[in-house]
Amino acid sequence: MVDSPIPAEGTVFLLDDEPGMLKALTRLLKAEGYSVRAFSAAKAFLESYKPQAIGCLVLDVAMPEIDGLELQRRLTHSGALLPIVFLTGHGDIPMSVQAIKAGAEDFLTKPVNDADLLRAVRAAVQRCAAQRELIAEAALLHQRHSTLTAREREVMAHIVAGELNKVAAAHLGIGEHTIKVHRARVMEKMGVESLADLVRAAERLNLVIPANTNKN
Amino acid sequence: MVASACLTLAAIHLLAWSMNRAAWANLLFSLSALATAALAGCEYWMMRAQTPAEYATALRWHHIPIWAIFVTTVGFVLLQLRAGRPWLAWTVCALRTLTLILDFTVGQNLQYLEITHLRSIRFLGESVSGAVGVHNPLLLIGQLSALLWLVFIADAAATAWRRGDRRQAVEGATIAFFALATTVQAALVFREIIAAPFAASPFFLAVVAAMGYDLTREVLRTAQLSDSLRESEERMTLATDAAGLGIWMWDRARNRVWASERGRQQLGFEPGEPLSIPAMLQHIHPDDREAVHRELQRAGQAMGEWRSEYRVSLPDGTHRWIVARNRMYPDTASGTSRMRGVTVDITARKNAEQALEMQRDELVHLARITTLNEFSNSLAHELNQPLAIILTNAQAAQRLLAQSPPDLAEARDILTDIVSEDQRAGEVIRRLRSLLKHGQSHLLPLSLDAIVEDVLRIAHSELIGRGITVHTVMAASDPRVAGDRVQLQQVLLNLILNACEAMASNPPASRHLTLASARSEETIRVSVSDTGCGLPSDAESIFKPFYTTRKDGLGLGLPICRSIVTAHHGRLWAEAHGAAGPSLGATAAGPGATLHLELPAVT
Repeated sequence: MVDSPIPAEGTVFLLDDEPGMLKALTRLLKAEGYSVRAFSAAKAFLESYKPQAIGCLVLDVAMPEIDGLELQRRLTHSGALLPIVFLTGHGDIPMSVQAIKAGAEDFLTKPVNDADLLRAVRAAVQRCAAQRELIAEAALLHQRHSTLTAREREVMAHIVAGELNKVAAAHLGIGEHTIKVHRARVMEKMGVESLADLVRAAERLNLVIPANTNKN
Repeated sequence: MVASACLTLAAIHLLAWSMNRAAWANLLFSLSALATAALAGCEYWMMRAQTPAEYATALRWHHIPIWAIFVTTVGFVLLQLRAGRPWLAWTVCALRTLTLILDFTVGQNLQYLEITHLRSIRFLGESVSGAVGVHNPLLLIGQLSALLWLVFIADAAATAWRRGDRRQAVEGATIAFFALATTVQAALVFREIIAAPFAASPFFLAVVAAMGYDLTREVLRTAQLSDSLRESEERMTLATDAAGLGIWMWDRARNRVWASERGRQQLGFEPGEPLSIPAMLQHIHPDDREAVHRELQRAGQAMGEWRSEYRVSLPDGTHRWIVARNRMYPDTASGTSRMRGVTVDITARKNAEQALEMQRDELVHLARITTLNEFSNSLAHELNQPLAIILTNAQAAQRLLAQSPPDLAEARDILTDIVSEDQRAGEVIRRLRSLLKHGQSHLLPLSLDAIVEDVLRIAHSELIGRGITVHTVMAASDPRVAGDRVQLQQVLLNLILNACEAMASNPPASRHLTLASARSEETIRVSVSDTGCGLPSDAESIFKPFYTTRKDGLGLGLPICRSIVTAHHGRLWAEAHGAAGPSLGATAAGPGATLHLELPAVT
């Protein structure tokens, strides 16, 4: 996935119960080069939404049956990572606070200026892409980390904890030379060039720092 | 003396007849009296005659009044006693006419072929002339006619008696008695059995008096009647004045209009201004004139009683409200009709009614604004929506036109959409303005379904905002009620709003609003059902003023709704849902309620 190119323009999902609004927004976003998928009800959207989709959701708040905030809750609950730009006819402050707290990208009121909307959509799409990138990176690191042997993982843990080869060798009860060999293998397998990169990778992986480092 | 008495009676009854052309008995009586006067004249002439020739001429002429008396008494008996055999009447008249002809053609007169000389007779202390000569045998015909005349009168009197009309029978008998007396006297004088001149006139005077007794009594009674009429008219005037009633009458045969003083005043007539139907219509307010005219025309053909309300224009430019109750009835004498009308000035009542109506309109309007205020947020949204669509469309178009090549086809579509969205915004404003407009109520034929549709459009955003699912079951689309569109919208908006309030504490999935219309022969009904908190145990109490369950509610919505519906001659009532009430399968819903609005159907 990491090698799939980040699309310059993602897919913008539109959800509004007002057909006229749906049509107008579609025109505007298409003119900007986005691919657009428009829905007039939350159910239809949920049925066709695929979690791997990249882009954002422009969402009306007031809708019959499932309203915008309810849909946001459901998406978050299901772990979907689609940034949401709320677009509402009459938003009040409590409503916008709730939406933003729940992770909305932006909260705009109708009538919306094209520049504001496009800026929000662009930001949301980029965030989506960036998130995807981070996720992909993390996945890669996990995958690389999984190729390490048990000993190599131990060595890596001690190295990223800042221990010198000698100290780590003493802790692990192996020779310093052996440590060096393991260390080179770890660097190679994790695809990093420097100790600093390895430390960053370990942080990403959220590795458990060995308890004995506390002794230092 | 006899002559002057007769002339007086004749004059009185001629006058009576001239005032009432239908009183033929009075005319006949007058003619009898005149004839009797003429007879008296002839007899006086005979008594004073100096030569046999003069006496013969007077005797010949005196048969003319006798003929007249016969004919008129026969007619009088037929009319006044309403009895007598017609064939006998005709025979008497024919014989008497024959007698009269013979009188002038055979001999010197009916009695004598020739009067040879006169003799002097002592009569009432004076010396008068009597005749001696050759008798005329044709006198028998005259005597036969007199006999038949007697029989006719006596028979008529007997018929009247048998019929039970004692007074008329006595009158007939009296006439018969004096008629007999005069006939006998004439025969005795002629046969020279008694030494007296022909003096039939006093007996005829008695006949006339007998004839006149009843008639004169009637004339006297008429005078009494007119007195009591005048008195009762005065009483009537007093009563009608006290009640503020005006009275007027219209005699269509003579096209004469009469009105009481107050009636004239109420109909807008100046003192001394001549009354007539065109003048009366002229005084009526131009807006009402045509209607009153039509009513008069219709009544002229159909008769009967009717009531009308109209305005009379006053010289100062204001008007007076009049309510009139009129009755047109056939006039048998003329074959047309007469009308009587009573008028009452109801200006004060009308003004009060109008003031009350204005206050009511004011209250209804205020309540409407209050109701609309509840919807203000969603109404703003209704207007905002098309504006937002227009802006986004326009900005999309700007981008499409900036491209190279510009996408003209799409831009054209966009313009079409902008136009329709703009119209939609205009429609929202128009609907809103009509609801805010302050005006008198106008009842026009309309469809309740269309009103429901309008109201749902106004409440659209509000219902979505409140998470309410709307169901409609419409079955009254054709215009079948007479109503004020705005006021009926107001009622339905209130009912919907109340239903929303009742469901406010329901979870969103169980907020169901159902609008259903149904029709029968006489009524159209719209029912608004909810799944909310239900009704108080006394469902009727929700229509009482100041009943409210809301902190900020005035509790006037439903009472005003009911007053609107009542003014439409309809009903508005609440129905609690029983266990078997309409449930939409919603869990955690309240018991719910239905409010029914029912209006009479118009055809």
